[in-house]
Amino acid sequence: MFSEQAAPTAQGLLAPPSAEPSTFARAPVSTYTDCTEPFRLGQRSFSRQYAHIYATRLIQMRPLLEERAQHKWGSGIAMRKLCELQAGEKCCVVGTLFKSMQLQPSILREISEEHNLLPQPPRTKYIHQSDELILEDELQRIKLEGTIDVQKLVTGTILAIYGSEKDNGKFLVEDHCFADLPRQLPMRGPSTNHFVLLVSGLGLGSGSGESLLSMQLLVDVVTGQLGAEGEQSSAAQITRVILAGNLLSQSTQSRDTINKAKYLTKKTQAASVEAVKMLDEILLQLCTSVPVDVMPGEFDPTNYTLPQQPLHRCMLPLASTYSTLQLVTNPYQAEIDGVRFLGTSGQNISDIFKYSSMDDYMEILEWTLCVGHISPTAPDTLGCFPFYKSDPFIFTDCPHVYFCGNAPLFSSKLLKGRDGQQVLLVTVPDFSATQTACLINLCDLSCQPVSFSGFSADEDEGDMEIGH
Amino acid sequence: MQCFLCVFILQVTYKWLSYTLGVHVNQAKQMLYDYVERKRKESSGAQLHVTYLVAGNLVQNGYICHKVAVVREDKLEAMKSKLATIASVHVYSIQKALLKDSGPLYNTDYDIIKTNLQNCSKFSAIHCAAAVPRTLAEVSQAHTSAQIDSQTPNDMQVASVPVTNGQVPSTAKQASQQPKGIMGMFAAKSSSKSQDTHKETKPESKETIGVSTASSKPPAKGNTMSNFFGKAAMNKLKASSESEQAKEEREVTKPSVPAAEPKLLPTTTVEKPGKKTEPVKIQKKDRKRAKRVDLSDNEEEKEAENLKKKRRRIKQPQSDSSDNEDGPASSISQEDRAPTPSPEPPPKAGLEPASTEVKASTGGKKRKRRRVLKSKTSLDDEGCMVTEKVFESESCTDSEEEFTKAKPASLHRQSTAPVKKDPKEDRRGPKKGAATASKANKQVSIMGFFQKK
Repeated sequence: MFSEQAAPTAQGLLAPPSAEPSTFARAPVSTYTDCTEPFRLGQRSFSRQYAHIYATRLIQMRPLLEERAQHKWGSGIAMRKLCELQAGEKCCVVGTLFKSMQLQPSILREISEEHNLLPQPPRTKYIHQSDELILEDELQRIKLEGTIDVQKLVTGTILAIYGSEKDNGKFLVEDHCFADLPRQLPMRGPSTNHFVLLVSGLGLGSGSGESLLSMQLLVDVVTGQLGAEGEQSSAAQITRVILAGNLLSQSTQSRDTINKAKYLTKKTQAASVEAVKMLDEILLQLCTSVPVDVMPGEFDPTNYTLPQQPLHRCMLPLASTYSTLQLVTNPYQAEIDGVRFLGTSGQNISDIFKYSSMDDYMEILEWTLCVGHISPTAPDTLGCFPFYKSDPFIFTDCPHVYFCGNAPLFSSKLLKGRDGQQVLLVTVPDFSATQTACLINLCDLSCQPVSFSGFSADEDEGDMEIGH
Repeated sequence: MQCFLCVFILQVTYKWLSYTLGVHVNQAKQMLYDYVERKRKESSGAQLHVTYLVAGNLVQNGYICHKVAVVREDKLEAMKSKLATIASVHVYSIQKALLKDSGPLYNTDYDIIKTNLQNCSKFSAIHCAAAVPRTLAEVSQAHTSAQIDSQTPNDMQVASVPVTNGQVPSTAKQASQQPKGIMGMFAAKSSSKSQDTHKETKPESKETIGVSTASSKPPAKGNTMSNFFGKAAMNKLKASSESEQAKEEREVTKPSVPAAEPKLLPTTTVEKPGKKTEPVKIQKKDRKRAKRVDLSDNEEEKEAENLKKKRRRIKQPQSDSSDNEDGPASSISQEDRAPTPSPEPPPKAGLEPASTEVKASTGGKKRKRRRVLKSKTSLDDEGCMVTEKVFESESCTDSEEEFTKAKPASLHRQSTAPVKKDPKEDRRGPKKGAATASKANKQVSIMGFFQKK
């Protein structure tokens, strides 16, 4: 992509000053549609129970699943609700999965005085051999056994199972299926190379300056300051930058001031204040040159529950004067130049990672797409707003690019669906750890990692390692 | 170019050079290269250390990664050989000392960017047509719509405009300009009746004028105030203007604007928008605003009544020295209780506070809410100099009056009349007419009550 175009004039700037330095015009975005409406919350009332989300989720997804089930196991199969089950009859049931996990942190257990338990320390994974799967529908629930991968699945998934009820009251599963990829609108991408840069996990305010130079290099490449002419003209084809969450570092989240006495902490400023100022400056540099979409992440100053609302513009006084700055929700959905983007800042994937045996972020990303829901574990283990009318996390149509931020590594994959859908799956790595960003070419849906580095004293040669 | 390196610096990066000389970044890079070449040819002995930027394709983890790296000169060839395709090579920086790590490069760049934040893309090779700063009008519209969405109008938000207020805000200026205007007026004036009224109006106006009010107000206010005073407005003030002032002050505090309003004041137009903001403010200040709304209902009567009420409000806090907040509230309620149609002399409200008080009319128009700690020196009727530190809080002159009254009140507490009665009596006192103006201006005291009775 970049390099091939730029190669001819690579060494052009190793020369005495030329008369006319060339300037390139930024490739304009021909169409941009913001589709985050379902994720924007107007009035937020938390007075409702969370059970309603599950109810609407099941209602919305049931028709899809019934269709899939009939497609997979034949149209003659019996579709039954749990209350209609008869022992021994082979049938198909659609319901919500619940995984009862021994190690799942439970607030009730923690505060229970009988047990006198200390709060459980956080673990990477909460799965255990003794976990069980239970299927619930509108009225009843039943335990599942059989050919179903208990470790892999997580609570909140809607699926269809095929099997029969046994005498001991459990359901013996022979096969199961998910909603699979929804329909996809045809992609009307640009005809020339247009790029979108995806970055996540800038991690400002961390107190360690390792990735600061890399961040500056990133900004310089995008704004066309760095590189020889060929590279600059390629960079001019970057039409958009999406910052996928965790703009602030986790260390800005420290809340020791809460525990300290007021007189000690009166004059101290929260760490996030300085970090946000730095963010504002970086965004200003970017905004003067390219449209930027800023998604909030786990450590950013916005609400905790999904869907996270956009950062408030008052925090970014310098950058928000530019109309190229767009503060958007997490998850984020938009149509850029005819290509449908959908992505999150990674909380959904990392939550599934904790409660499932799947280890690879790309695998989990793909799995959520197959299941038809962005974040099945919400609201069980991931904070979520108590929706009741509809569940906005269900895939209504298949995106062309589906990404998640703050992954440990970069990976990308072109997934081909059953009905001819083509989705580019991208896991955007955490920039503060890997100094790598992702460049997506909208023309042919390809993705390339871009990594930046400086040099430091402890390197023997160059800087070839991925992350420093 | 050479002088830079010799004179200052430990290091010159291409970006630093570009901003300092005002040249395109590519030219800066070429200049650096040129300099290095020449210096090396001269072999003058001065050792120059150069870092380069190398970019290109590299296979990493099964992906073709586009790598962008800053390398020292000695590692340049090694890096180039690692890259499958080289996209660009250019000089990144020159320094006198060998750099151990790239931290200082970042610092140099950071500093130069910080000083040039507003035009950070000026010398870059890419120009984006879409990146234009929003005009203030667009910003305000965006804020307005955001405000409607959020349902909580933020009074203190700098750029936000209350929906009711159609003016483009430049709120940051308002606060500063208003005091300037007010202070200017006050500085020019010596204490006098009108001044007293001004004082009263001023705190009122200041309080009612919140940060979010239209920007046009402060500049206008300052001008009009000074105009007002300069043009012998004093006369007007003393005579009929008092009522008008009070009226204006009232207006500031009341949501609806009586039609009669400030004929005198050139800031009439400004005031009206100010009034409009009143409803917005009302949401915020429940108690006071509500009361003011009530007051506004009676508005018609009312210049006199306004004056009277105002005076009452001013006087009442005298007795309630303790409670700043409750003062205005109770004073307002008391005012409600005893409205009298008789035109009142300007609200002396015993507010001697010489200094900073309201400039009559203009003060009234702008409803700014502000908390300002001021020191007011006044001469009370016993000839004692009373200095009080007054915290002018949101609502108009209320808090200010309270404070100022509180002090003088304490002096008069010796008299047997119950403190609580003072406000009422004081109120009635000022009502009595212009004749009592001078007394009222000085100090609301129990003596006023006795005199009238």
